[in-house]
Amino acid sequence: MTAEPIPCLILACGNPLREDDGIGPHLAEWAADRWRADPRIRIISRQQWTPELAADIATAHSVVFLDCSIDAAPGQVNLQPVQPAAPQFVPATHHSGATELLALARDLYNAAPQKALLLTVGAGSLTFAEDLSSTVQAALPRAIHLLQTTVQDLLSDIPAPAEPQSA
Amino acid sequence: MSQTITIDPVTRLEGHGKITIHLNEQGQVSDAHFHVTQVRGFERFSEGRPFYEMPSLMARICGICPVSHLIASAKACEAIMSVRIPHAAAQLRRMLNLAQMVQSHALSFFHLSSPDLLLGLDSDPAKRHIFGVAAGYPELGRAGIGLRRFGQHIIELLGNKRIHPGWVVPGGVTEPLAPAKRDEILSLLPEAYANIQLALDAYKKTFASFRSEADVFANFPSLFLSLVHEDDSIELTDGTLKLIDAKGSVVEEGITAHRFTEVIGEAVEPYSYTKFAYYKPLGYPDGSYRVGPLARLNIVKSMGTPRAEKELAEFKQIADGPVQSSFYYHHARLVEILYGIEKIEQILSDPLILDKHVRATAGVNRLEGAGIAEAPRGTLMHNYKVDENGLIVWANLVIATGQNNNAMNRGVLQAARHYIKDGKFTEGILNRVEAVVRTFDPCLSCSSHAFGQMPLQITLMASTGEVLDTVTRS
Repeated sequence: MTAEPIPCLILACGNPLREDDGIGPHLAEWAADRWRADPRIRIISRQQWTPELAADIATAHSVVFLDCSIDAAPGQVNLQPVQPAAPQFVPATHHSGATELLALARDLYNAAPQKALLLTVGAGSLTFAEDLSSTVQAALPRAIHLLQTTVQDLLSDIPAPAEPQSA
Repeated sequence: MSQTITIDPVTRLEGHGKITIHLNEQGQVSDAHFHVTQVRGFERFSEGRPFYEMPSLMARICGICPVSHLIASAKACEAIMSVRIPHAAAQLRRMLNLAQMVQSHALSFFHLSSPDLLLGLDSDPAKRHIFGVAAGYPELGRAGIGLRRFGQHIIELLGNKRIHPGWVVPGGVTEPLAPAKRDEILSLLPEAYANIQLALDAYKKTFASFRSEADVFANFPSLFLSLVHEDDSIELTDGTLKLIDAKGSVVEEGITAHRFTEVIGEAVEPYSYTKFAYYKPLGYPDGSYRVGPLARLNIVKSMGTPRAEKELAEFKQIADGPVQSSFYYHHARLVEILYGIEKIEQILSDPLILDKHVRATAGVNRLEGAGIAEAPRGTLMHNYKVDENGLIVWANLVIATGQNNNAMNRGVLQAARHYIKDGKFTEGILNRVEAVVRTFDPCLSCSSHAFGQMPLQITLMASTGEVLDTVTRS
């Protein structure tokens, strides 16, 4: 099963039942709503990233990974480039990181997105809850703005789809 | 001074378990256990829920084989309703179960076990994982990912979700198969055939290096149990249970779902949260048996599809009678993937597969119901009792991993005794002990109905409790 080539892949990770761990899926939901009609963008949201996603990455011109961060301060929004890297430890079977997925895409499909970026929001709380913490809620506009400008920048060289003709 | 080696948790399994190996004063292995350390709970908290919610609730037990739980649970509910589901619904469920079988077996073979098989049991543990396989054997890595995606995509097409689809319901399925989806699945078949052929060829080529492991990886006579079709061909979704002995003679057959509690019992051991299933007439542990791909291929006389039929004939040449070494679970798993792909193609050619009548309805007509399906790891049984309002008052699940529990423990002991001499062991030796458990592809989340992470700790302890040595993988 080979995925169709795509200019921009948005790959979100997180568990919406674990409070701020759900920031990735939350941003993916916003992105799906914002770019619903744009065929240049594919959005995949998962509770965990698994090795199978390497096949999707291999077809993407650019990738934006969305995740929460337990290293950053709560509510801190970061955007950083990601490079492929082999795992530094014995990896879990059911979960891979952005760097590992890029390495898998490289090793299996000899493919590398021209740009790969990781957008994270520092988690304030990871308890059992469906809502984001107030700190991360407050950071949401910044995260959305950064995601929007990042995707627009990644797609700047790719023509937007034509507006549908009215009857 | 006697000692204990602990492997905690065992890596590359579905869930969280540990192994302890007890050494006597001469440093020889005196005993060994495989412990499932997760706590179960689904049976208890389903009490009081309406029976028709059970398939969706029970599917949450596992993210790898939720389809098996959906199907066994729906069948138990249909026994309570006393309905027979429409033909198209039965075929669609069968296809869903096969798709799950393909993706789950691919996970077991490629992601969990191929690092041992391709990179070697003594290879660097830091590189002995799916990423190592991808770097060294990209073609096989792509085949594994391709087969996983094949199965997952069919599940998503049918059930609208890759994991925990709510499409299987008591009485059938919620919506019929659309022609476009049928055509899309058909278009996926050529690549799936190519991928499984690649894996079968690679396995057969590699196996010669593992003959000595096959001799001691849970290699002993036992009973085998699985569902079979009435003509003794393989059957994963319907049919009746058949039990054979180590020589292949029939012990009992034609066991229907509503009779399984008469013949299958569950024992408890203090070192594991997973129960130990056994055949009641022989008692515990003499009535312990094996389930899963090895058992299924040992029991059936036919696969019912041309390419898998040839592979079955080759498999049957391994031994004069049932194949006893659990190492061959790997081989059997690949044959079942091939069967799954072929059977999906057969089902799609059924002239009634697009029929719109896919659900039967009824209320509570019996106060107890049982359902059985073959999960990737083996036979899965759900049994419910309800009150007159259809609320669950009691539920019991007999899981494949529990039915293999005794064999896994015997296998761990067999391998530990073979490899550990005079209290000395290496990482490669302990990996072999773990690999015995991996051949069964146990699903500890299913067997205990919880989930866990999988780091590894090996501890060598004196009988006094003093820790002599510890190795940790994070």
